[in-house]
Amino acid sequence: MERRYLPLQSTRHLGRTVQRYYFFTRYQRLWGRPLHRPLAWITSGAPVEILRALGIDCVYPENFGAICGARRVAPDLCRVAEAAGYSQDLCSYARAGIGAALRPDLAPMGGLPRPDLLVTCNNICGTVLKWYEVLARRWHVPLFMIDTPFVAGEPEEHAVSYVRAQLREMIAELERFTGRRLRAGQLRQRIMLSNEAVRLWGEIRGLCRARPSPLNIPDLFVHMAPIVVLRGTTAAVIHYRKLHREVRERVRTGQAAVPGEKYRLLWDNIAIWYQLYRFYQQFSERGAAFVTDTYTGGWSVAVDAGEPLESLARTYTAIFLNRGVDFRARQMIDLIRDFGVDGFVMHANRSCKPYSLVQEEIRRRVIAATGVPGLVVEADMTDARAYDQERVRSKVQTFMEALEARGGHQQGQVQ
Amino acid sequence: MTITESGSLSVLLAAAKNAGRPYPQRPFGYFCSYWPEELTLSVGWEPVRLLPPAGGAVPAGLPAFSCHPARACLAAAEGGAYRHLDGTGFTHGCDTMQCLSGIWPGETPFLFVPPNSVLAVGAQAYCAAELARLWQRLAEAAGRTPDDEKLHAAIVLMNRIRSRAAQLDEMRARLPSPLVAAVLRAGQLMPRAAYEETLAGAWNELASLAADEPARTGVLLAGSVLESDDLYTMVEELGARVVADDTCTGYRHFAGLVDENEEPLSALAARVIGRVPCPCRHRDLAARPEHLVALAVRRGARAAVLVVRKYCDPHAWDAVAVAERLRSAGVSVLVLEMETAVPGGAERTKLQALLEMVDFA
Repeated sequence: MERRYLPLQSTRHLGRTVQRYYFFTRYQRLWGRPLHRPLAWITSGAPVEILRALGIDCVYPENFGAICGARRVAPDLCRVAEAAGYSQDLCSYARAGIGAALRPDLAPMGGLPRPDLLVTCNNICGTVLKWYEVLARRWHVPLFMIDTPFVAGEPEEHAVSYVRAQLREMIAELERFTGRRLRAGQLRQRIMLSNEAVRLWGEIRGLCRARPSPLNIPDLFVHMAPIVVLRGTTAAVIHYRKLHREVRERVRTGQAAVPGEKYRLLWDNIAIWYQLYRFYQQFSERGAAFVTDTYTGGWSVAVDAGEPLESLARTYTAIFLNRGVDFRARQMIDLIRDFGVDGFVMHANRSCKPYSLVQEEIRRRVIAATGVPGLVVEADMTDARAYDQERVRSKVQTFMEALEARGGHQQGQVQ
Repeated sequence: MTITESGSLSVLLAAAKNAGRPYPQRPFGYFCSYWPEELTLSVGWEPVRLLPPAGGAVPAGLPAFSCHPARACLAAAEGGAYRHLDGTGFTHGCDTMQCLSGIWPGETPFLFVPPNSVLAVGAQAYCAAELARLWQRLAEAAGRTPDDEKLHAAIVLMNRIRSRAAQLDEMRARLPSPLVAAVLRAGQLMPRAAYEETLAGAWNELASLAADEPARTGVLLAGSVLESDDLYTMVEELGARVVADDTCTGYRHFAGLVDENEEPLSALAARVIGRVPCPCRHRDLAARPEHLVALAVRRGARAAVLVVRKYCDPHAWDAVAVAERLRSAGVSVLVLEMETAVPGGAERTKLQALLEMVDFA
């Protein structure tokens, strides 16, 4: 099979950045304690800027779940969790993480180091509440929970006030926990760093409007790691500046991520981590590039200027996975228009109900509004046992043949 | 068990069996026991709980890895089964209900978003504000003005029903399990004033049916929605009795009163915050396991059946910690995964094994 993929130079820098992060995380118990730096396990949608400003180091079990998936050890770890009573139908990030806590010998890097505290925010799903309850019982450490009410239309003021009050309370509790005072300047600095990384990440994603696209979706999935695990740090900013330069240069010279780009596609949902390259190769070998997606864009929303807690409350409440179907459908329609998309692929992800259970309705609305065809592929983000390779291959083949029959670059008109 | 065909009890059982049909005037469908029925009543609508209908229809709008209650209700809605409703109300609880509210066919449903973390700072104030928003929207849609007196009257009515339900729940050990389940389910389907009156009328008949049955093993039944009595019947057939119930359609629906002397919306919010914990809400790590252990001990339950509807995440998560805590308290536990509310041979074998284990212990 011909390899139709142009690797990025920045990926080596990414590797070093992420390796450094996980190296320091792994030994944080040794160097963090003398420096009175607690270690938090935190969800990807939680306001990490507050923790960083208080000198708390953060590790992301969701990112670790993705690593378990990419390294194809997730099924073994999931089985450990299932043997402990957790249903196979529960989120595979959570199951892999619980499996890693129970059997660190099976986990990459020997599992994550024991936390001093847990911080969860339900703006991405309800699962993280239950998952972190399990972790709190396991590790016997304080659990901080930020409750961000679901936003069906636009955020309600009483919901934003509620989140703001919780942030204020969490700060007071974390100050007691760390013995440090939160300095306003430190928080602003962390928000500024977050926003700078978010801006660069947004621009990098935006550069894929170019024809041919300088990036394909595996690039975005791989390079999103710093915006998740290093948000609010200079390391993330440095990485995205480097990546930004390289992608801009690709656009200037007309380099395509998928040589001979014929079709431009949109991806919806989390990656199929254990099939990251093989899955997308089924498309790239036919000249189809995934030029945009709904998932990695979740980290391209900046915290507004203004009073920090108010801004953090608004931003973290309005995260796309905490929004209703109208917002999500509009977002996809806009992306299809902006990026000149010819078709879209939705990953019906058994592990992520808030993402997946509304997809059919969104698919219907997007097709009606744009005329662009959409494919739904059922799989799981990390648990390879839920992946039916032949079925997926057949569906992809049929979809690509239909796309080819329509002709290339026949982007749907937004009505 | 002999029930008078023309008596009040038979009316309740018929309502439970027929999913509330014939429907009341101005029916309003709702999901989840957290839906504020009082608000619905105060604007002139009759709350009717939407339970998954029997049948195997598969909706186009949800993938196969969603729970049966969501799929069955969506299929019914797509088929026009809820056209008679004046409106539909969802409560934000689990991810599935959140999604179902977004893809519900027809008129945009009403969504109540109570706090998930009920002890969070500001949770009660937020909940009261959210109830005020919802009340305004319901009133506008119903063509009414929010009226404190009507809301107070609805609170008084619901409190009377909940008090009766609490008394009935206390009589469980002496009444057939499916009978109690059906009577409580009727209270979610019938017009509320009629239910209150009928239940009061059935009280003597219920009391006459009560009898001590010490030979039956006491069972705690916990779980989400059970839209039929079949599991309760199976428990009885196997010589046991449901002496404690913590299902969404059982006593948990009714637990807790609203303070009639407080400002109504604050009082309703206080009930949401103080309710018996449901797996969709976070109180503290021990709240639900300790509540269930206390319930099992108080009612003398020697076995517990934790029903997890297939693909129901909150109950599947909680089952592990709850089972562990119950076992540590000496209660034998069966985690029973069920696709529908109708148990089959496999469920019967598991239940039988559990009860035999208890009897041998």
